[in-house]
Amino acid sequence: MAGSETRRQSILEAMVQVVGRKGYKGTSVADVIEEANVSRTTFYKHFEDKHECFLAAYDLVVERVLSEVIASCDGEQAWLERVRIGLAKVVEMFALDPELARTAIVEVAAAGADARRRHWNAITRFTEFLDDGEQLSGSPDLPENIGLMAAGAVSGLIFDELLTGRAERLPELLPDLLFALLVPYIGPGAATEEMRRAAAG
Amino acid sequence: MEPAGAETGGRWRPPRGRHRLPPEVVARSQRERLLEAAVRVVAAKGYGAMTIGDLTKRAGVSRTTFYELYEDKQACFLAAYDAAVALLVRRVIAAYESEQSWPERAAAGLAALLETLAAEPALARLSLVDIGNAGPAAQRRYRAAIQRLTPLFEEGRDFAPGGRGLPANTSRMAIGGVTGLIADELVAGRAERLPGLLSDLLFATLVPYIGPDAAAREVERLTR
Repeated sequence: MAGSETRRQSILEAMVQVVGRKGYKGTSVADVIEEANVSRTTFYKHFEDKHECFLAAYDLVVERVLSEVIASCDGEQAWLERVRIGLAKVVEMFALDPELARTAIVEVAAAGADARRRHWNAITRFTEFLDDGEQLSGSPDLPENIGLMAAGAVSGLIFDELLTGRAERLPELLPDLLFALLVPYIGPGAATEEMRRAAAG
Repeated sequence: MEPAGAETGGRWRPPRGRHRLPPEVVARSQRERLLEAAVRVVAAKGYGAMTIGDLTKRAGVSRTTFYELYEDKQACFLAAYDAAVALLVRRVIAAYESEQSWPERAAAGLAALLETLAAEPALARLSLVDIGNAGPAAQRRYRAAIQRLTPLFEEGRDFAPGGRGLPANTSRMAIGGVTGLIADELVAGRAERLPGLLSDLLFATLVPYIGPDAAAREVERLTR
């Protein structure tokens, strides 16, 4: 028989998948326990309600994406290279698991104020990867929120693609996403060049 | 005596009972009251918890009248949303067109947007936050509404030296950066602090077209 922690884990996985398929509003605890193959009692042993379970599932997604991004960058690469590799990793994960992508980017916006705050906290953690870029730009007056704006631009574009059900086409958008991340730091000329390089593969 | 104030926001309403107002005037006023009620109720308790009873009570109309005007709660919400967006877009475009060069136009449009949202936090929440909670149809509406501001950003293409070589999605990126920061403040309940975001948002708007150095210079010139 599976351990308590394993069951908790499979409930979270099920939550990510069901919400990605049916939307947060359309998801019931019954859907989740069926997908996870656990009893209702088990669900309520671990979580107060659907909302609490969703927040934990969202945290799990964020940790998973962050750890993959960190693992893909060895810390030796230059800033530009690190941003390129990290972004490509996020896009690859989203394209391979559209349910996870929808849960992480679209449905989190439908799950109440707590969830949205977590979403912004997560985006802030990703922007830490961008911080070194401020040294690349010769400009001393970059706004403090520059990373948040760049990340907001990227997540907005991904949101659009997911909303129209095109998760599998996200990799085609990678060059544009890269431009959006880089342009506040290196300007349109250099960012366009990086975009062309990414498009050429 | 008819109590005025809290329940109806002090708005004029046609006298009860038999009166001579043409039916279309009565319907318009009822419709407006319902739309305003939707904005207030969504701000107070969120879209999910809002009931048709909340709307009819706040607007002072009967349930029958509600169903004559709207099919359901979502239809009323979407109508309120459209009205809110139309107002925002109108103000932004008017401010934008009052200036000459593109950076000045962008600064004026953004300032109008932030001031309107700060003065009407309920409307701000409805247009930028709660729309995400009202189902896929509402979310598509949100994206469509935002796209109406695209041409204001796209003018940057003609203004910038290498503007034509920029990616097709440039304006969508700039808009994403701007709306993301605004939504962040609204979620944190800091609508009154929105006008303070002007310099950051102006930077986000200008930077994809003219780069960080020129954008920082224009921000300094236009907001200090």
